[in-house]
Amino acid sequence: MAGDRFSFRRGPMVDMPLLLGVVAILTLGLVNLYSATSVYIDDDSRARLADIYVTQIYWIVVGAMIAILVAAIDYRHYERVAPVLYAGGMVSLGLVFVLGKDVRGSSRWIQLGSFAFQPSEFMKIFLILMVAKVVHNDSRTEPRSLVDLAPVSALILAPVALVMMQPDLGTSLIYLLTCISMLAMMRIRTFSVLSLLATGAISMPLAWMFVMRDYQKHRITSFLNPEADKTGTGWHALQSQTAIGNGQLTGEGFMQGTQNQFGFLPEQYSDFPFAVFSEDWGFFGTVVLIGLYAFVCIWSIHIASQAKDRFGAALAVGVGALLFWHAVFNIGMAMGVLPVVGITLPLFSYGGSSVLTMLMGLGLLMNVSMRR
Amino acid sequence: MLVQRSDVGEFRQRYRWLVLVAVAAFSILIGRLAQLQIVEGDLHRAQARRNIVRERSLATTRGVIRDSFGRVLAANRPSYSVHITPAEIDLETTWPRVMKVVQLDEFERAAIEKRISDIKALPKEDKRRGQQILLKVDVDRDVVAFLETHEKALNGVEVTPAPVRYYPYGELGAHAVGYMREVDAEALERLDERGYRAGDHIGAIGIERRWESYLRGQRGWRKMVRGIARRESNAEIDAKYLEEPRRLEPIPGRDISLTMDIDLVASIEKGMRGQLAGAVVVVDVRTGRLLAALSKPSFDPNVVSGGNGTKAVGAAFRRLNSDPLKPTMDKTISAAYPPGSTYKPFTALAALADRVTDPDREVDCHGGFEYGKRFFRCTGVHRKVNLHSAIVQSCNTYFYELGSRLSIDRLAAIGLDFGFGVKTGIGVNPEARGRMPTRSWYTRRYKEAFRGGFTLLSAIGQGATTVSVLQLALSYAALANGGTLYQPQVVRSIETSDGTVVQDFPPRVRRMVELDQDHLTMVKNALTGVVAEKTGTAYKERIPGLDLAGKTGTAQVSHVTPRGVDPDKVWYFNRDHAWFAGYAPSKSPEIAIVVIIEHGGGGGKNAAPVAMRVVRDWEKLKEKRVSAQTPAHPPGKRGSL
Repeated sequence: MAGDRFSFRRGPMVDMPLLLGVVAILTLGLVNLYSATSVYIDDDSRARLADIYVTQIYWIVVGAMIAILVAAIDYRHYERVAPVLYAGGMVSLGLVFVLGKDVRGSSRWIQLGSFAFQPSEFMKIFLILMVAKVVHNDSRTEPRSLVDLAPVSALILAPVALVMMQPDLGTSLIYLLTCISMLAMMRIRTFSVLSLLATGAISMPLAWMFVMRDYQKHRITSFLNPEADKTGTGWHALQSQTAIGNGQLTGEGFMQGTQNQFGFLPEQYSDFPFAVFSEDWGFFGTVVLIGLYAFVCIWSIHIASQAKDRFGAALAVGVGALLFWHAVFNIGMAMGVLPVVGITLPLFSYGGSSVLTMLMGLGLLMNVSMRR
Repeated sequence: MLVQRSDVGEFRQRYRWLVLVAVAAFSILIGRLAQLQIVEGDLHRAQARRNIVRERSLATTRGVIRDSFGRVLAANRPSYSVHITPAEIDLETTWPRVMKVVQLDEFERAAIEKRISDIKALPKEDKRRGQQILLKVDVDRDVVAFLETHEKALNGVEVTPAPVRYYPYGELGAHAVGYMREVDAEALERLDERGYRAGDHIGAIGIERRWESYLRGQRGWRKMVRGIARRESNAEIDAKYLEEPRRLEPIPGRDISLTMDIDLVASIEKGMRGQLAGAVVVVDVRTGRLLAALSKPSFDPNVVSGGNGTKAVGAAFRRLNSDPLKPTMDKTISAAYPPGSTYKPFTALAALADRVTDPDREVDCHGGFEYGKRFFRCTGVHRKVNLHSAIVQSCNTYFYELGSRLSIDRLAAIGLDFGFGVKTGIGVNPEARGRMPTRSWYTRRYKEAFRGGFTLLSAIGQGATTVSVLQLALSYAALANGGTLYQPQVVRSIETSDGTVVQDFPPRVRRMVELDQDHLTMVKNALTGVVAEKTGTAYKERIPGLDLAGKTGTAQVSHVTPRGVDPDKVWYFNRDHAWFAGYAPSKSPEIAIVVIIEHGGGGGKNAAPVAMRVVRDWEKLKEKRVSAQTPAHPPGKRGSL
C-alpha cells in the first residue's frame, strides 16, 4: 500500500494493519474482561461487576466514533488548537482538586452528571499534541542545549506535578516517559543529555523523601522484596505471577484460570487483566497478545517515519510511546519485573476514560497514517 | 492555515533506535513470560492448587466400652459444634446472621469478634489465617439445620459433628470406666505428634485413660476446593483440581469389653446407699477378673466429660475437688487402709506354717494382752479361745499372742505372698501399694530401737500395715481358690467396631502361694463360722440361706479415740473403718468380695450387711442368667442402650 501512489492520491486510505491490530486487541480484551468478571456471576453482592463488559462495549463504540471523528479532521488542524486543549486539560486537572471525588485516598475523578471522568487520562493526548507542536516548531538542526529545552520541560512538568499531587504516580510516570520518548526524536547535546540523566538520578532520592506518599514508597519496597510484604501489593504481585505461571504452555482454558476464578487476583479487570489472560490462554496465547502490542507500537514508528511533517511524526511517536509504556509497565508489573503502579493495559483494562483516551490517540495515529 | 511541511530528516536516524527499544522491551517481557510459564510453570501450578485446595479433617468415632454382658458403659452421643474460619467471615453480613441463631453471651461474643478481626488483620500469607476457632459446642438441632441450609450464604462457618461421650449408667462404675477431658495446651504439645488438636478430648482416668490409644481411633482427612467459584457442581470441581488420594477414611477406635457386670455394680450401689464413703470390689476367684467395683462417693462422668457444656465441667470439678470425701479418688485401687481384723487369717496361716502354735491350743482372753509394760486391748472378753473361735469372734488377744510368737518380718512375708505391699498390676488408675512393715522399715522410719509391740499390731492388721481394697479382694480370692494369686483383670477383650475380637485376655496367675491345705481348710472353716456360727462377728447380719464366708474388720484410724465413747460422737474422720472381706459360696467359692465403709464403725454391723446383700444379688443374677440361657459372653451379639 505504501508504494501505491495512485491510491495515495485518491485521498486518505484507512491504515488496515493498524485497524486490524487494534480491533484484535480490543476483541481479546473484551473476551478477557468477560472471563475476568465471570467470577462475580454467582456473587450476589458484586453481581453487577459481571456485566461490566457490556459497559466496556459501550465505551468502545463511543471511543470508536470519537476516533473516527478525530481521524477525519486533518491532524494539522490540531496543531493550532493544541495550546487551547493543553490549557483546558490543565484547568481540568486543577479542578480535580476542587471537585474531585475521593477514591481510595486519591482524587482523580470529576463527576459530570452521571458520568465520572478522569481528566488526567485525556490530558495524555493533549500533552502529546502540545509537545508535538513544540517539536514541530523547533526546526533547529543543531543539537539543543538545556536552555533550549527549558520551555518544553516546563510544559511537561506542570501536568506531571499536578497529577503527582492527586496523587497518581503511575500516570505522572506515563506523562514523563511518553514526553521524553518524543523529545528523544530531536538532537540534543550530549552534555545536556548527561546532565539531564544526572538530574534524574539526583531527583529520584529527593522525590522519595519529599514527594512520594507512603503507600507509593511501599509499592516500590514491596516490589524489591515481595516476600517481606505479603499483605497488600507484594501479595498481589505474587498472586499475579502464580496466575501467569499457572497458565503454563496452553493455559487453563477460557474462564478456567483458578487464580482468577477463586478470587486470588485483585483488581483483575483493571490492574491485572494480563494475569487473567495468561492464566486462561497460556504461553502461546500470551505471546500472540504481546506480539499484537509490539506490532502496534512498531507500526506507529513506521507511521511516524512515513509522516510528511514533524508534527505528524512526533504525534505518531507520542501515541506509540503512550501505548508502549502502558503495555510494558502493566505487563511488567503483572509478571513481577516492575513495581505495582496502577497503570492500565491499554484497550484491555476496564475503564471509560482509559478506553476513550486510547482510542482518541489511535484516531490521531490513524490520522497521521492516512495523510502522509 | 495548516502547518507547513517541515524538516523530518532530523528524526530519520531515531526510528531505528525506537524500534530496537520496543523489540528489546517486548522480548524481555516474553522472556520473563517463558520463565514464569515454562521454566517455573509446575511450581506456580502447584502453588495455584495449594491456594484453592484445603484439607478438612474427618472425625473418627471413639470405641465403645461395654460390660461383660455387652451392655454399653460408654458410647458416643451425636452432637454438633460450630467452627468458624475467621479469615473468611464477613463481619458485616455473615456474622450477625450466625449470631442470631448461635446464642453467645455478650462477653464471649466480644472476645470472639476480637479474635476474628485480629486474624483478619494478619498478612494474607500468614498460616494462622487458615485456622479455625470453635464457636460453640453441642448446638441445638434447629441451629444445625439452619446453618446447613444456609451453608452457601455463610462463608467461613462450618458445622462439624463432634460426638459427645455418653455414659448410660452415669455414676455406676465411673471410676473404673473413667471420663473424658479436653486436652490442655501443655498436653497438646506432647501429643501433637499423635494427632491431637485443640478441643480434642482425651481419657482422664480409668479405662478411658489407660486404653486411650485403642479407644481413640484415627482421624481421616478430605481435600476440598475452597473459594467462591460454584458454577460447576462440587464433584466436577473436585475431579478437576484434587489430586489423588483425595480422602483418607478415619479409622474408628477399638471397642473394649470389660470383665465387669454392671448389674452387680448397680446392686453394690443399692447396698451402699446410706453410707457416705467407701469401696466395694468383687473379683472372680477362679480368674482374678474384676466383676464389680464401686468407689463412693462417685461422680457423673457425663457431666465432667462435657455433656452438659463447658461451664458445667468447671462447676462439677470445683465441687468434686472441694469434697473432703474425695469423690474423684478410686478408693478400690488408689487408697490404702489399715486392714484391721480382715488380716487375721494371714497371721493365722503364718503361725500355722511356722508351727509356733497348735490350732487347738487355747488362749485366755480377759480383755487384752500384756506385753512388756504395755497392755494391748481386745474388743471384749472372750475367755478361752482357740484358732477357730479366735477368728470367728475376732479375738485380738489371741492374735497378739500369736504375734508375740512370730517376727514382724514373717508377717510381712506372708503378706507379700498374698500380694500385699506391691501393686497388683490391674493397669487402671494409680495404684496404692499399701505397706507390709518390716523391722528395717520401722528402724528406718522411727530411728529408734524396734519394739516388739509393732509385731503385735501387725498381727491384727493395725500399726503401719495398710492394704488396698483390691489387694484384699485378691488375697481372699487366693484363700478361696486354694492359694492361686491372680493378676487382676478389668479388660476382657478388644474388638473392632464391627465386633471382631482382636485381642482376648485369658486369666493370668501371678503366683501360687505355698500353703498347707490342712491349714487353709482350718482358716476357711473359721471364715465360714464368722457368718454361720452364733458367736460369729457377722452372724447377726446374715441372710438366712446365703452361703458366705468371710471376716469382719474394724480398723482403728485414730490413736486418740477413747474406748467406751459413743462412736456417733467421735469426729467423723476419727471413726473406725468398717470392713468385710469374704467369698461365696463358702464350699466352692466363685467370687471374693471386699467391702470397706470409711469411718463406718464396726465391720460386722456395717460392712457385713452390704456384702451379704451384694452376694445375694449376685446369686439372683446368676440364677436369672442360667434360666435365660444367656451365655456369659454372647458372641457377636450386642446389648444396646
